[in-house]
Amino acid sequence: MAHHKILTENVHYADQHEIGRYEERGGYQAIRRILNSDPLSIMEEVKTSGLRGRGGAGFPTGMKWSFVPRNTGKPIYLLCNADESEPGTFKDRLLLERDSHLLLEGMMIAAYALGSHWTAIYIRGEYAHPAACLAKAINEAYQRGYLGQGIFGSDYGLDIVLHRGAGAYICGEETGLIESLEGYRGQPRLKPPFPAVVGLYDCPTVVNNVETLAALPWIIKNGAAAYAQIGTEKSKGTKLMSVSGHVKNPGVYEIDLGYPLLDFINNECGGVREGHSLKAVIAGGSSVPVLRADELAGVLLDYESLKTAGTMLGSGGMIVLDDSTDMVEVVANLQHFYSHESCGQCTPCREGGHWVEKVVKRIYEGQGFPTDLMLLDSVCSQIAGHTICPFGDALVTPVLSFIKKFRNEFDEKIMAALDRHLV
Amino acid sequence: MSEETKQVMVTVTIDGQEKLVPQGSNLIEAARQANITIPHYCYHKHLSIAGNCRMCQVKIEGQPKLTIACNTTVTEGMKVSTHHTSAEVAEAQRATLEFLLINHPLDCTVCDQAGQCKLQDYFYQYDIQPSRFTEHKEHKMKATPLGPEVIYDAERCIVCTRCVRFCKEVTKSAELGVFQRGDRSYIGVVQGAELNNPLSGTVADLCPVGALTHRRWRFNTRIWNTTITSTVCAGCSNGCNCEVAVRDNQVVQVKGKLTSQGNKGWMCDEGRYGFMRFEPERRLAKPMRWNGSTYELVKSEQIVTAIKTALFALKANSKAALFLSPYLTKEELAAALDYAQKAFQLAATSEQISLSPRPRAVSELEAILIASDYAPNIQAACALNMVEQSSDWRTGLNERYLRLLKEVKDGKYAAVCIIGDYAINADQIDAALVVAVRGAEFSLQLGVREDEVLGSEELAKGTPAIAKFVLPALTVNERSGIFINRLGREQKIKQLLTAPDEAKSEADWLKSLAE
Repeated sequence: MAHHKILTENVHYADQHEIGRYEERGGYQAIRRILNSDPLSIMEEVKTSGLRGRGGAGFPTGMKWSFVPRNTGKPIYLLCNADESEPGTFKDRLLLERDSHLLLEGMMIAAYALGSHWTAIYIRGEYAHPAACLAKAINEAYQRGYLGQGIFGSDYGLDIVLHRGAGAYICGEETGLIESLEGYRGQPRLKPPFPAVVGLYDCPTVVNNVETLAALPWIIKNGAAAYAQIGTEKSKGTKLMSVSGHVKNPGVYEIDLGYPLLDFINNECGGVREGHSLKAVIAGGSSVPVLRADELAGVLLDYESLKTAGTMLGSGGMIVLDDSTDMVEVVANLQHFYSHESCGQCTPCREGGHWVEKVVKRIYEGQGFPTDLMLLDSVCSQIAGHTICPFGDALVTPVLSFIKKFRNEFDEKIMAALDRHLV
Repeated sequence: MSEETKQVMVTVTIDGQEKLVPQGSNLIEAARQANITIPHYCYHKHLSIAGNCRMCQVKIEGQPKLTIACNTTVTEGMKVSTHHTSAEVAEAQRATLEFLLINHPLDCTVCDQAGQCKLQDYFYQYDIQPSRFTEHKEHKMKATPLGPEVIYDAERCIVCTRCVRFCKEVTKSAELGVFQRGDRSYIGVVQGAELNNPLSGTVADLCPVGALTHRRWRFNTRIWNTTITSTVCAGCSNGCNCEVAVRDNQVVQVKGKLTSQGNKGWMCDEGRYGFMRFEPERRLAKPMRWNGSTYELVKSEQIVTAIKTALFALKANSKAALFLSPYLTKEELAAALDYAQKAFQLAATSEQISLSPRPRAVSELEAILIASDYAPNIQAACALNMVEQSSDWRTGLNERYLRLLKEVKDGKYAAVCIIGDYAINADQIDAALVVAVRGAEFSLQLGVREDEVLGSEELAKGTPAIAKFVLPALTVNERSGIFINRLGREQKIKQLLTAPDEAKSEADWLKSLAE
């Protein structure tokens, strides 16, 4: 099936990141077109397109914008979340490195629609090269008068600031990102109030993912109706999928939402490695529940179908696991990541996260006890939903879903340990 | 907020109890009004909301997940279930406690907080079962000094950030911060700083567990072996409410008391650690009389007669000067004024009666909690009509004190009465004054110090024995009565320490002398 190329149309050009080439290929036309129109009409257009947040939660973008109060007298801030840290997710990186101006144009459109004059891109500290690409692109845009006072000769001024994080997963959570950007410890804030009302420097703030913003120029150029025709009824448009793991062709793919998951793995990604069979798929980044190979038939890659299947589209960071995988090791690996990245602010995640890691590690190392799985279940259920931010839920999901789906592998490890204890 | 909007009340149902509470109330405070305690660690009435301990989770009808009460403002018709009525809440609370305790060293046997520790209290109330945690505990720094007064134990810490918020929001000196992340998190002092603000000891009070302890009171006593008394600090006219633990006639711990107004639970280091500064090194236990070359001990009944006789022998219309201690209670001041009237026909308003406000300089940081004088009960001077309240009445009082002191030295008074310790500051006593006082026809002193040495460092604290007749009175820690603080609030101070046998309150002595 031929997928629409909304985000990745030009990424294969090696010189696409240069502002001249970007403009030759139709860049900066969308922002020029809207600069004299009513910002609210742009917001309506985005609402009509059905575009949903691509960072993971899938919240309708236009609706998110509409929560921002416009008459508070305070500035409105737009922040681009480029803190792509979810294990298995590397889709934004492609856009940041190869089509930086696409993101900048998307930000200009969003900022204009929101009435924001100061925006920032918060990029994860590890993304040194993408940050360099962005910095160059921003410079080019300033030189041509596309950023700064009166962009494109209009009377609308806009600044884009690039801010590199210091390498904390939690700064991808929007309030953690805001705290970090303000110069404090990257710790999520209590909600309410929500950032739309009290965000950066206590001002109304919108945080959008790179991929969400990068879709805006196409929507403006081709119209919301054209975008809404792609995908399914509720999941419209295209999605970047970053595929890693045991497939022949790992990488970033742009697909129309609603594409069958198995087709995607077998056709686009070339299927699993020779001589192996598919065992499981984590569809949307490491913090969504895993699906066994036998659950995949008929599952489509869109928000609703994956939800029905008991998982989520998330950030589109797909991890494919074949029959050579030790599922206990996967969980031990993920838990090491999560317990290391817990910000330590609230009790269940700070203490519970490490407890879970230690137990899983012990099982993996052959020191498990039969009561451990019950213990994990009990501890995880008391972390989930009891924390300040969704990190608590993210950290227990792999544990609970892997134990549920691959209980036998955990049991085997524990029984083997038990035999050793008895000897 | 105007008075009118303050009055708006909303109905909330907490565990089935309907309660009318002011609109905008915090849910923890609202529950308190319904006599329901929602357990919490990080929440403090006078600090910002952190919401990190997760102990105060409650179920609010219509909300899918549990909610933290500390970050909830009550609204009309809100229905709340606490751990008393919701099994889900009770289980979440039990789990929170379990989480808090897995890396805790459980060293209650050597911990100063034992007996006043929220971890202990809540564990007994909500959990009380063996830990399921069998892994290795995280080890962290022990006994780290954060500053001159406070020691930190990172293993006991639950990172509630009350101390961090206190230094950021109240003293605004921001010495403390959270370092590291995850279960390696600990509280530390920022580079180049030291926790040495004038209120630094307060962070140890705020600590709900044993992580922050008072450096000078560590390993001093178990709290259940002490007698705890709610009283008022006599350090200055701010009159901070506090709870004082006493063991073996020694103050062993002072904590600020959470009051709706006033000091809000904060205490300055000077007041907190300074309770014992009022105690003399050599305590006057028996009456003394100057025989021309030295003091000789006299029995109580004899000296009362002797003083009465001496007073009787005084010529009519002899001029008298009275120095009253600013540490006397309102009742004792009244008794002293009564004596002045009966013995010397002096009215309360007389310029011959002095009460020094003991003015002092306070820095901007100290001014959060320290008034610009040492006298805890100075406002009583107005209440008892000694001085008319005006913009500069304190200055006037101090000038009167200094003038009177000079006139005594010049020998203008036949009678001199020094009533209470600190009635004359030691640093203002010189040989000339001693000669003048002892040379007066009649000189009476009610004090607590046996010392007669002048000018030594340690004596710069109170009033040494200088008069002909010296009666053993009380130190401020031995008194009970009313202090009126600088805002005019009458507060009760209570006796903390036991006075020696023959020592009596100034009021009692003066009463028997006036009979």
